[in-house]
Amino acid sequence: MPPFDTLNQAWMVWDGPAPAPEDAVLEYTRELEKFLAEIERRAFRMAQVALRDADDALDVVQDAMLKLARNYASRPSGEWRPLFYRILENGIRDLQRRRTVRKRFMAWLPGPKDDPDSEAQDPLDNVADAAPAIPEALMQGQAMQQLEVSLRALPARQREAFMLRNFEGLDVAETATAMGCSEGSVKTHYSRAVHTLREQLGEVW
Amino acid sequence: MNEQPSDSFEERSRALFNGSVEGLDFATRSRLTRARKAAIEAASASRRPWFFRIGVLTPAAGVTAAAILGVFLWLGSPLGQHAATVADGQSNFEDFELVASADEGSGDAMDMLQDDIEFYDWADKAANPGPAA
Repeated sequence: MPPFDTLNQAWMVWDGPAPAPEDAVLEYTRELEKFLAEIERRAFRMAQVALRDADDALDVVQDAMLKLARNYASRPSGEWRPLFYRILENGIRDLQRRRTVRKRFMAWLPGPKDDPDSEAQDPLDNVADAAPAIPEALMQGQAMQQLEVSLRALPARQREAFMLRNFEGLDVAETATAMGCSEGSVKTHYSRAVHTLREQLGEVW
Repeated sequence: MNEQPSDSFEERSRALFNGSVEGLDFATRSRLTRARKAAIEAASASRRPWFFRIGVLTPAAGVTAAAILGVFLWLGSPLGQHAATVADGQSNFEDFELVASADEGSGDAMDMLQDDIEFYDWADKAANPGPAA
């Protein structure tokens, strides 16, 4: 390869992709940061509901942000939301699988078991007493706890469909993209989730 | 996009979730912000063309260049040459001593070399085989 006197000469023979102009990079970097800032807390709460652990939830959200920024930032911004949630849900599922494997492995070992599921709460523990003077915030906190417990008890796909559709406001097509399934499956999972949650929470809410 | 279900149960659950998001503590918010900044920074770095990333490598490249320059200067300096000369001289002197020294009971070293001249000839040909005849 002949030597180059200037970078321009080097680029003239370079057959790879042209570098994005700095202005364009800055523009969609700003847009991406705005998108992540809007979404990060909700994503964290969704991950926390699914994983029951703030540190794990933070790790999964951070990983999803990184993957979206690295691999999909150049995609149209309208695609970011379902892509982000797809990455997030995959991360949550991976972590849950690892936990399951670890739990099985730990079951073979003697001694105390490190079982994250042992912290699962009984929904009835959180049922409010009949005492009249419970502050509104406390009541809401308890209601949210009940909701979280019930959500965790759902099959993963139903939980995903409910949270993406109802909490995050994705439409059926976006939810299908995020979950990697058909729109019909989304409708089925969502309908079953609502039915189950209503049955469990309808009386105590 | 925001075609959210409007059943009262769904509205209630959504309101609770939104409330829990608003109620996140400062430490968690701060960690999320740091995570976002790290993601943006990593993505920006990976998207920059290589010549925009040179700045990141400047400290390491500077240290390496300084080290290489130092080695060349040292070898080119009288001190470096002196060291090389001393080492070479030591080696030459040892060779001379080896050849000139007499082995007890077997004649001098020049005779020994004369006796083994065929060996050295063979060894030389074995090490440097010429084109096949």
